[in-house]
Amino acid sequence: MILAVVDAGPIIHLDEIDALALLSVVDELLIPQTVYQELEAGMVPPALETIEYELVESDTTGLGVELDPGETAALTVASERAAVLLTDDLAARDAANDRDVEVHGSIGILVLASTRGELEKSAAAELMRALQTETSLFVTDAVVEHGISLLDES
Amino acid sequence: MATDLTERVQEIAEARGIPESEILEQALERGVEDLWVDLVLSRYIDDEIDRETAINLVGRDRVKRAEQEVQAVEDDVRWGLNA
Repeated sequence: MILAVVDAGPIIHLDEIDALALLSVVDELLIPQTVYQELEAGMVPPALETIEYELVESDTTGLGVELDPGETAALTVASERAAVLLTDDLAARDAANDRDVEVHGSIGILVLASTRGELEKSAAAELMRALQTETSLFVTDAVVEHGISLLDES
Repeated sequence: MATDLTERVQEIAEARGIPESEILEQALERGVEDLWVDLVLSRYIDDEIDRETAINLVGRDRVKRAEQEVQAVEDDVRWGLNA
């Protein structure tokens, strides 16, 4: 049973490679209101309405992190509910690790989708490359190839 | 894409008041630099060169950033395979 809370990063990046529906590979998905408002400031990806999620409120006072409001809200919810934080921001990952919150990102979602039979391994590898070439994800191409080699070895 | 590049080169050249040929020369230098950094980091990640060599070639910040990325990707792949 995977309960996960997502910030805007994976939603945007997975949508950019037409893979947003794969977020439904987690068993229960939470989206903080603050994150949804960030998406609304641009455009909420239409594909988001094809997956089930729960909008949740968060009280971020006292968390003491220097992250964007959406990342802070997602980290708060993940900490309160013992959920997995889904983020593609390296600083948010560090903050989560500092607070013993399990944290993963878009690449983890692609691999999980492959493991759960939603995606062929080769398709997961291609989408990992697309994350690097078609989105603003943090990762450089050498690192993506390293991740694909780990996936291939499994 | 080719049209976009041509128009961008023209716009940059006009904005900076320098010839398009000079813009293209700078673009080539930056592009080669990026590709060089990618190559060095790739060799470091694949254990073909050691950390100190990589730092000498592309700088400590880039190497540390690549290490953070590798850690994140390894964590993600392990989680995806075992969750």
